[in-house]
Amino acid sequence: MQANIATNKETGRSVNHAFASHFAKSMFLTVVGIAILMFIGTRMFTHIDLNLYGYMVGTIVFIGGFFYRFIAWGERPPTKIIIKKGLKLLLRKSTPKTAVNHLAIYDFIRNRGLYRWVQHILIGWGCVLACLVTFPLVFSWMYFTMEDNGYYTIVLFGMNVMHVKAEGIIAWFSYNALNIAAIMVTAGVCMALYRRLSNMQARAEQKFMYDFLPLYLLLFISITGLLLTFQNIVLHGWMQPQMSLIHQFSVIVTLIYLPFGKLAHIPFRPMSVFARNYREHYGEQQMKECKVCGDHFVSVEQSNDVIQVLGVNDMEFNMQDGFNLAELCLPCRRKYRISRFSGFATHQVKVKEANQNAKG
Amino acid sequence: MKKRLYLELENCIGCRSCLAACTQCGGHEERNRNYVYDVNPLVNRQTMPLMCLHCVNPACARSCPAQAIQIHETGAVLSALVEKCIGCQNCTIACPYGIPKFDTEQNLMYKCDLCIDRTKDGIPPMCASVCPSNTLQWLTDEEIEAKQKQFNLDNGKWVTSMPYLEGETNVKVNLPGILQGVTKLF
Ligand code: HEM
Ligand code: SF4
Ligand code: SF4
Ligand code: SF4
Repeated sequence: MQANIATNKETGRSVNHAFASHFAKSMFLTVVGIAILMFIGTRMFTHIDLNLYGYMVGTIVFIGGFFYRFIAWGERPPTKIIIKKGLKLLLRKSTPKTAVNHLAIYDFIRNRGLYRWVQHILIGWGCVLACLVTFPLVFSWMYFTMEDNGYYTIVLFGMNVMHVKAEGIIAWFSYNALNIAAIMVTAGVCMALYRRLSNMQARAEQKFMYDFLPLYLLLFISITGLLLTFQNIVLHGWMQPQMSLIHQFSVIVTLIYLPFGKLAHIPFRPMSVFARNYREHYGEQQMKECKVCGDHFVSVEQSNDVIQVLGVNDMEFNMQDGFNLAELCLPCRRKYRISRFSGFATHQVKVKEANQNAKG
Repeated sequence: MKKRLYLELENCIGCRSCLAACTQCGGHEERNRNYVYDVNPLVNRQTMPLMCLHCVNPACARSCPAQAIQIHETGAVLSALVEKCIGCQNCTIACPYGIPKFDTEQNLMYKCDLCIDRTKDGIPPMCASVCPSNTLQWLTDEEIEAKQKQFNLDNGKWVTSMPYLEGETNVKVNLPGILQGVTKLF
């Protein structure tokens, strides 16, 4: 126990250390980067939309929280290994395919259930669409100019990229992109809430701050956003400035919350591509043989990495029988434990484990 | 009154009620997360269950790069958070007892969560509730201590608690000594 406390202190100090150096550096570079992009985008600050000022402040605070969380997290030994080796393997041929699969179409969520997949497509892509429109507007990387002849020009980073008819389909999608996004997110969040109400299975472990708050925040953003459009079209702008402030406020709160709650999976999720590459690459290189049955069950690299990570945490599972527990395949490892309990060498009996999956 | 899962291994009759019960816990999607083994399958009928022991310092959680395995305030080591698990399978390699299961299709690890939807409110876990042979029980620390005294064989065969386990655990395990010819008295 003593040793444990000592190592905890150790990591505590290195996180603080990161805060003083990495954190400040990343924060500084990002803010400078955004300022430069704004300078270019706004043609030397001549096109700033000050209505969007709140978002700017919110984004900066978000970036602070994000770096704080990400750097503290990256200091953990297993995370460090995956990030380091994942970056090295980023140029694998399969990376684009894995990335699209894991980060855009979420095949693996579909395998968890069609309902969960549709729900996540709506929420995830709704949010991505909204961000693709909002952020360039906020930082004035993109804006629209109206010409007398019924055409709009979309200006991106100070360049006129597109010239569209004000009544045309592209223009319609451009003004309505945020409404479409809001409807997608509302539908997705309603699906998530309905799943919690109707399905006991989905309700197992939930805390308000972790589980419900992000859903309510997304719902609040979407509905206030839709109300803005409604006020514009039906109520001729009645109370629109007030609603605009409420909407801005909801986005800012969400941005600040994002790095700490359930939504933190968004920036962290690309790690799943790292993990897949790591398993595939080292699996092709050399597989570990189970010390009891000889089955290939994990790459040598990963087995060694896990043993090392556990070592950092003062855990050494070296057995007197001459192996580390991480060197046994899972069925053998379970049988080995039965043998330790019973005194009979269950793992040496050449009978495959059977009847372990109750069909409920 | 805080209670723990307590196992008396040799009572097990191999009925696999605990596996069936486990499929019905909240969030389990009808898949069980526990095991029942034949001790010496070619010779006799003795069976023993194998469960997550909910380590005080869990190797699975320490090895997870995504911090997907959370430790509940009751001490239960939870299953991977569905939105955080990145599918690296470190946890399956790290666990000294081989407990976490991995679903390749769903890219998701799942393991015993001590039926947290029940035990967080002091309701016994599913497996302990259905076990017909008193192998799995839900007891207070005092009750467990009494059991340990009752069954302390003191003959070097006491291999189910520290220092024979790989670390301190929240679930307590015991051998009533049936295999050594001690008649079991409840
Ligand atoms: C980088 C791409 C993303 C990946 C790989 C990803 C992955 C996941 C996964 C695996 C889950 C668990 C789903 C389940 O098992 O039912 C989830 C849940 C969730 N995701 Fe994402 N996500 C991504 C982007 C986003 C974005 C952009 C949002 C928008 C805010 C978002 C919002 C949510 C929400 C609200 C949940 C919780 C759903 C619930 O509680 O039922 N995700 N995500
Ligand atoms: S027994 Fe294995 S799965 Fe359970 S808490 Fe310990 S390390 Fe984790
Ligand atoms: S498989 Fe999932 S839960 Fe297990 S260590 Fe990897 S990320 Fe964590
Ligand atoms: S405590 Fe619950 S989750 Fe764990 S093995 Fe028993 S029934 Fe399954």
